[in-house]
Amino acid sequence: MAELKKNDEAAVDATPNVTAVETVDAVSTEESVAAIEAPVERGEPILQVRNLVKHFPLTQGILFKKQVGAVKAVDGISFDLYQGETLGIVGESGCGKSTVAKLLMTLEKATAGEVFYKGQDITKLSGRALKAVRRNIQMVFQDPYTSLNPRMTVGDIIGEPYDIHPEVAPKGDRRRKVQELLDVVGLNPEYINRYPHQFSGGQRQRIGIARGLALQPEIIICDEPVSALDVSVQAQVINLMEKLQDEFNLSYLFIAHDLSIVRHISDRVGVMYLGKMAEIGTDVQIYDHPTHPYTQALLSAVPVPDPDAREGRERIILTGDVPSPANPPSGCRFRTRCWKAQDKCAEEVPLLAVPERFTSSDTPAAHESACHFAEEKDVVHAA
Amino acid sequence: MPGPLLEVRDLHVEFRLRDGVAKAVNGVDCAVAEGETLAVLGESGSGKSVTAQAVMGILDMPPGRITGGEVVFRGRDLLKLREDERRGVRGREMAMIFQDALSSLNPVLSVGYQLGEMFTVHRGMSRKDAKAKAVELMDRVRIPAAKERVDDYPHQFSGGMRQRIMIAMALALEPDLIIADEPTTALDVTVQAQVMDLLAELQRELGMGLVLITHDLGVVADVADRIAVMYAGRIVETAPVHDIYKAPAHPYTRGLLDSIPRLDRKGRELYAIRGLPPNLTRIPSGCPFHPRCPLVRDVCRTDVPPLYEVEDGRGSACHFWQETLHG
Repeated sequence: MAELKKNDEAAVDATPNVTAVETVDAVSTEESVAAIEAPVERGEPILQVRNLVKHFPLTQGILFKKQVGAVKAVDGISFDLYQGETLGIVGESGCGKSTVAKLLMTLEKATAGEVFYKGQDITKLSGRALKAVRRNIQMVFQDPYTSLNPRMTVGDIIGEPYDIHPEVAPKGDRRRKVQELLDVVGLNPEYINRYPHQFSGGQRQRIGIARGLALQPEIIICDEPVSALDVSVQAQVINLMEKLQDEFNLSYLFIAHDLSIVRHISDRVGVMYLGKMAEIGTDVQIYDHPTHPYTQALLSAVPVPDPDAREGRERIILTGDVPSPANPPSGCRFRTRCWKAQDKCAEEVPLLAVPERFTSSDTPAAHESACHFAEEKDVVHAA
Repeated sequence: MPGPLLEVRDLHVEFRLRDGVAKAVNGVDCAVAEGETLAVLGESGSGKSVTAQAVMGILDMPPGRITGGEVVFRGRDLLKLREDERRGVRGREMAMIFQDALSSLNPVLSVGYQLGEMFTVHRGMSRKDAKAKAVELMDRVRIPAAKERVDDYPHQFSGGMRQRIMIAMALALEPDLIIADEPTTALDVTVQAQVMDLLAELQRELGMGLVLITHDLGVVADVADRIAVMYAGRIVETAPVHDIYKAPAHPYTRGLLDSIPRLDRKGRELYAIRGLPPNLTRIPSGCPFHPRCPLVRDVCRTDVPPLYEVEDGRGSACHFWQETLHG
């Protein structure tokens, strides 16, 4: 591993002036090496993401458009999702977490990289094959007020997926299916003819979840599913999602900015910063033994509902704002806000890999972290 | 203990809507002392923002109507003042910070102009002096390169920087009281921490009273001295911050605390308060929380609980507060 890493670092060093796309390629090879080495204790992954890239072109001119740059929303990320597990993705606004969701749903076309669903690369699919795969990957959206069509009844909203995939439920059977789904998500099946405005935010989110479940998918991608809800209702929806996961053996990709909720629901957590994965591991590894400085800063900034902890806890207050993804810093993207940054950080892109100093030991700190100076630091528990 | 800077007594606010009268605030009593941070905690529709707007005198009337109560600030009942007198209080003696800085700032005027306006309008300063003051304020809220950025427009700043400008604007005339309505809700956690730190530091420095309106139990625990929990337009519990987290005396507060996941450990299934927050046009009889309360008994359905004194400086509007406190 160490040798491999060196070779790749050399490759990056040797080509300092390459264009954006080429740099991505260089980074890609290194990260795929790291990703393949991921632990396989959970059996076969249901979804494998490899070096996924999404660049949105920035153009200039009206008639003769010329590309002048690109917003590097997602810039080479890799991870696996296993059957029945929840992978949480956290990060601040603009880190690319919602773009990842869209790419996995194939709502956006990836610039580069692969997404394997049961061994099949879905970024290359189209037509009937794509439609078949999409049945198994569904989504729950953030805003329950805009993600439901106000002019459709609840029955039509939840039943709409059956129009596209009629093989799941024959026509005469649909009403009963929809009522079953309403019951499953804890709504009265008699509400089938009501309109979205007759429901509260939490109830609407349940409708959104019922629609996500309609096609009996294996994977549900949840993009901030509870952030628009009040605290007391949030808990209800989270509990519902956990219950459904057990019942239907669902895999969740749970995207959120609220770190406490992500810890609660996730088996593994990935931390994103400016289009890259900064650190990924189990919830204990990430929350109790973080090794990437960004994760540490993020965790220490979360206000904890315990007034006694406010003196005892160390706070890392970052300076400045997240840089623009159109023009990310060279080397490590976090270096402009990092207190550990050195010359090396500006020159070399840190790989997402288990830091060398931890590889031989069995500590929870031995998980993948993209930092040259990774070191363990507990910022969550008061000293 | 200094006397209260602001005292709200039995405030009632309602909104006349097409489908009835929404009773947004139903008898709120609270007080803020000089240099104190009071957090008003509540979910959407609990009446926390409407209370703040009524205190500031910026409630939309109609449809809103203040149907009773007093807002006593430094011995004067603000609700009895004429509008032009009220305007003198606003900004000079009490100021407000809003949640959404982008829609609170005027997009076609530079931030320097908007900050300077405080001085040209209230202090009659010249434009040039006002601009110098604006730079000073931007320095104070730690906006880097304030001199170069004073002529920039709101859209040229990031979310955190815009919220700093809002804070600068509130501080401009050195008011005695600042009301901050969800000041960090729209911001990312790392930026939220920066802004809260700044606010707490400026408050210490200037000795202002601060009313922090929020739904976030974490933010409250970090900065507040005292908490008032609101539900259906009433204060259901009020206590010093340490007491309320250790031993809540109202089932709603307890439910809220139990329903948030923890960062420092992985919990079991979350406790969920059953049901939904009440519709303000049809607030339940008796205790408004009774349809969702695990301790509900007959008396809760008929009698509105007063704010019982739990101990000095602590109150709970629950008939069975003793049970909640010790249970």
